[in-house]
Amino acid sequence: MMMQKKDEDTDGDMFQRIDKSTVLQEARAFNEYPINPKKCQQILTKILYLLAHSEVFATAEATETFFSITKLFQSKDIPLRQMVYLTIKELSTIAEDVIMVTSSLVKDINSTSETIYRANAIRALCKITDSSMLQSIERFLKQAIVDKNPSVASAALVSSHHLFNKNKEVVKRWINEVQEAANSRGLATQYHAVGLMYLIKQHDRMAVIKMIQNYSSGLRSPYAYCMLVRYIAKILDEEDIDGNARGLYEILEGFLRHKNDMIVYEAARAICNMKNVTSKELYPAVSALQLMLVNPKVSLRFAAIRTLNKLSLTHPQAIVSCNLDIENLITDSNRSIATFAITTLLKTGNEASVDRLMKQISGFMSEIADEFKIIVVDAIRALCLKFPQKQTMMLNFLASILRDEGGYEYKKAIVDAIFDIVQSIPESREFAFSYLCEFIEDCEFTKLSVRILHLLGAEGPEVSQPSQYIRYIYNRIILENSTIRAAATSALAKFAIKIPELRERIKVLLTRCLEDVDDEVRDRASLYLRILDDEELCKKYIVNENTYSLNYLESSLQEYLEDEALRKTAFDISKVPIITKAQEKSEQLRIKTKTAGILASSAMNSAREPSPKKSAMAESIDPQQQYAMEMEAIPQLAALGKLFTSSTLTPLTELETEYVVGCVKHIFQEAIVFQFNVRNTLNDSVLENVSIVMDIASQDDENIDLLQPLYCIPCNQLLYDQPEKIYVVYKRPQQYTPSVTFSCLLKFIVKDCDPTTGEIDSEGFEDEYQLEDLELSIGDYVAPAFIINFQKAWDEIGDANEVVETYMLTAATSLKKAISSVIDMLGMTPCENSDIVEDRANTHALLLTGTFVGGIPCIARARMIYESSTGVTLELTVRSPVRAVCEILSNAIN
Amino acid sequence: MGRFSDFLIALGFMKKKVNILCVGLDNSGKTTIINSLNPNKVDNGMIVPTIGFSIETFSKSKLNLTVIDMSGQGRYRDLWEHYYVDVDAVIFVVDSSDKIRTCVAKDELEQMLNHKDLKKRKIPILFFANKNDIEDSMSVADCSNALGLNNVKTKNWYICSCNGLTGDGILTGFNWLIGIIKKILI
Ligand SMILES: Nc1nc2c(ncn2[C@@H]2O[C@H](COP(=O)(O)OP(=O)(O)OP(=O)(O)O)[C@@H](O)[C@H]2O)c(=O)[nH]1
Ligand SMILES: [Mg+2]
Repeated sequence: MMMQKKDEDTDGDMFQRIDKSTVLQEARAFNEYPINPKKCQQILTKILYLLAHSEVFATAEATETFFSITKLFQSKDIPLRQMVYLTIKELSTIAEDVIMVTSSLVKDINSTSETIYRANAIRALCKITDSSMLQSIERFLKQAIVDKNPSVASAALVSSHHLFNKNKEVVKRWINEVQEAANSRGLATQYHAVGLMYLIKQHDRMAVIKMIQNYSSGLRSPYAYCMLVRYIAKILDEEDIDGNARGLYEILEGFLRHKNDMIVYEAARAICNMKNVTSKELYPAVSALQLMLVNPKVSLRFAAIRTLNKLSLTHPQAIVSCNLDIENLITDSNRSIATFAITTLLKTGNEASVDRLMKQISGFMSEIADEFKIIVVDAIRALCLKFPQKQTMMLNFLASILRDEGGYEYKKAIVDAIFDIVQSIPESREFAFSYLCEFIEDCEFTKLSVRILHLLGAEGPEVSQPSQYIRYIYNRIILENSTIRAAATSALAKFAIKIPELRERIKVLLTRCLEDVDDEVRDRASLYLRILDDEELCKKYIVNENTYSLNYLESSLQEYLEDEALRKTAFDISKVPIITKAQEKSEQLRIKTKTAGILASSAMNSAREPSPKKSAMAESIDPQQQYAMEMEAIPQLAALGKLFTSSTLTPLTELETEYVVGCVKHIFQEAIVFQFNVRNTLNDSVLENVSIVMDIASQDDENIDLLQPLYCIPCNQLLYDQPEKIYVVYKRPQQYTPSVTFSCLLKFIVKDCDPTTGEIDSEGFEDEYQLEDLELSIGDYVAPAFIINFQKAWDEIGDANEVVETYMLTAATSLKKAISSVIDMLGMTPCENSDIVEDRANTHALLLTGTFVGGIPCIARARMIYESSTGVTLELTVRSPVRAVCEILSNAIN
Repeated sequence: MGRFSDFLIALGFMKKKVNILCVGLDNSGKTTIINSLNPNKVDNGMIVPTIGFSIETFSKSKLNLTVIDMSGQGRYRDLWEHYYVDVDAVIFVVDSSDKIRTCVAKDELEQMLNHKDLKKRKIPILFFANKNDIEDSMSVADCSNALGLNNVKTKNWYICSCNGLTGDGILTGFNWLIGIIKKILI
């Protein structure tokens, strides 16, 4: 490649006006004698250039070029030979008969003289090999893996990595060589060897754990250690930490004392991401990150603060000890670091430090990108709710940044923040409204104007001097587009209804709206003018504090429209549950919390700093959305309507069995869909016509016949290691939420199959495979919900339908276990970090919210006392607007 | 080839490059024979069926030889023709102990001789009746008959019996080939 560089310097426009047919003409030079290495290299470079710019080579052209390139094997020129390899790799997918260079490549790999191109030859060889040929070159690859030249060994290991996907069985046979390579002295070789070894063992958890223990000391490559840390993190994520994995935490903790920063960071991050991590376990990791905060390396400071920032969401108390160091980072010249520092402090800081922080933020707000501004705004929103006394200052700040330049997402975040503050701190309303009024005078985003007008209409009349807003609202009717005019008309009407003194004056304004050019505005104006004359109608349509469960309404309407029979009669709105506006808000908050999370993590990804964590984006994708999309693509399932909630994956087999099966339960309005993920781990067999037979194994419910099996969507063919999905659908009446244990049987036709060629026998026989029983419990009918202020929500629902039950959880040996089992049984979401319990505590209050199927909100408080002699005593109080839901939930404990 | 280098070659100062293509059915012993000719190769008893082709370059008898050792397996035989264009000589190896497949060898030979890139050219062909150590193997005359060599009138050819493992007979044939090449090229 050195040569090529020189060419570029001397002949800068070598790549201009390159034309495929000319290059192919030039390629005839490959057949000439004597070979001119420099000229041939240039031509090869041009071919690669064309390929890299997606020039299309026809098969015949590529094959012809490939054959003339094979003539270049006569030359012993090393750079030329390397170019030949590169080109062969690129052509390997287009040209025919590329395997014919196999022997030539093997010869180069085995060349005894220490030629530098042996590694290149290995890579080219693996690229051109198909799985039927793999056996014939196996011996050379095995040898190369243990070669004493690290670049050769690495090339062989990395190539094996790629080959693994094509032919697992053959690569698995090289495990001994890979093990030897892992002990070699080459740093990269170790790293690659550990990676390949994991790939080979990944489905055998015990083997992986053993491998981790084995290599947790004695390796030399820091990259290899980082990989180990990630494998540990993966296992800890899958497993209950109490079990086997306990020892793995200790390994992580040990890595925190490693002298390499990268390893320390990886280990600290893995600990911070652990599920159910205790403050004792967090302590050493946080201390390690704290040290990095003062490190001269920007990347380390960024990594550390970013991780602490994430941790501050779940464990704010754990990082309080770092506050001093974090404060110093506010003035960091790297703005991304400063932003994370501030938002972290805002989450953990105390009231006294808030003023100072806010001043500092104002100082650099204009210097950071929109996505970071959004993070800051979100942090301020949370802070304001935490310290209501500070709301004046916060609102001032929000108002001042609202005046600045910014895109829609940013402005929306600010408006959302102000809305939230208004909702939770009613005293702030007047103040906030005046800012919002000022904002809509000059707002370029229709959506935001409409929302603000709606809010003004809904809450403006309750503020002390409501008449002040009329002018702002009416100005919109004069100046804005029709969408905003319509919204402003509605807002005006609400003032008129709620404040009789203003009614006559507003009527005059509404009458003017009757002249509007837009019919929506005129329609609304005339509707309101009509209603205003009738007190009763006013109450019914406008002042009403209740609303329909919109999710439910939407799905019932959809169902109504799709079903011919239903449409014969009028739609019956009385079946749609009515919820209070407060409950509706909680639902909106849930959606907002979710999107805020996604925004924050995507903003982190787009930050220009190197991102050590690629999966952040993947994490932000909601699995439920994923499921919903998959099922909508299947017509039979799409007909079931909107997905209400999905459970997590329950394994129904061990991980190491022939067929690995797991189940996800999806609750629909009137159906339950059991999604079975099946994987065939036998490479010498293929399953066809794979279906699941479910039977009700046990239940204590005389109405169980209401639960009716509808159909199974089988999987036609289950190839080795290609997971497929099978769906079983049950119908259930809307209000019926049974708990049932199902027995499950996998039924299929099994056929033999040649692992190397993939050829399948035509003859097969029927067989079945018993799976573990599957529980459907009350928790499955509850969707997660999110609220900020538990007490407020608790009071709002009220004790009208409250149910209190007391239980003895004798099986629970600790509060921690009791908490996780209560959460599991109820399927509800813990609030205010109440799922975290101090290690030594023996009493605890767990706060839970959720949405019961049908869109009915539910909220619960679980008080627990632990005594070593009796286990955990639980007092469960459930509240919901629907009495039946309280009863169902309080009986769900067993 | 510039005039000057022709001159140097004539004087014996510079070695001329010669392309030799080695073909024949699979398992006939091509790679074994080429290895025994190649002074740079040590016999490590590690000869595996060739996949595709392999190029060996070495000097012998004051010539720079580039020997293209093709694979004889059925699926690669179509590839031989890609290398006909610039060959100076062909070595065709027959396994004289494999009577049954001599008709296949004959067929391949005919196809090669009738190929457009070889048909009009006067290039020498050396036939090795290899594996003469094996009992019941065919004699040179039998091989020649089986391949129908008497009908090959357009090319200069020679057949000799040899043993790839010990090297017996190989040089006899090879020296014949060198003699012809030197006559033609220089
Ligand atoms: N007994 C005997 N065996 C031989 C002789 N020459 C070669 N062999 C053996 O025949 C087998 C095939 O030899 P190769 O040189 O690989 O044959 P090839 O023609 O190159 O085969 P392909 O590369 O597949 O086309 C090897 O096991 C050799 O040891 C010989 O003269 N006598
Ligand atoms: Mg061979």
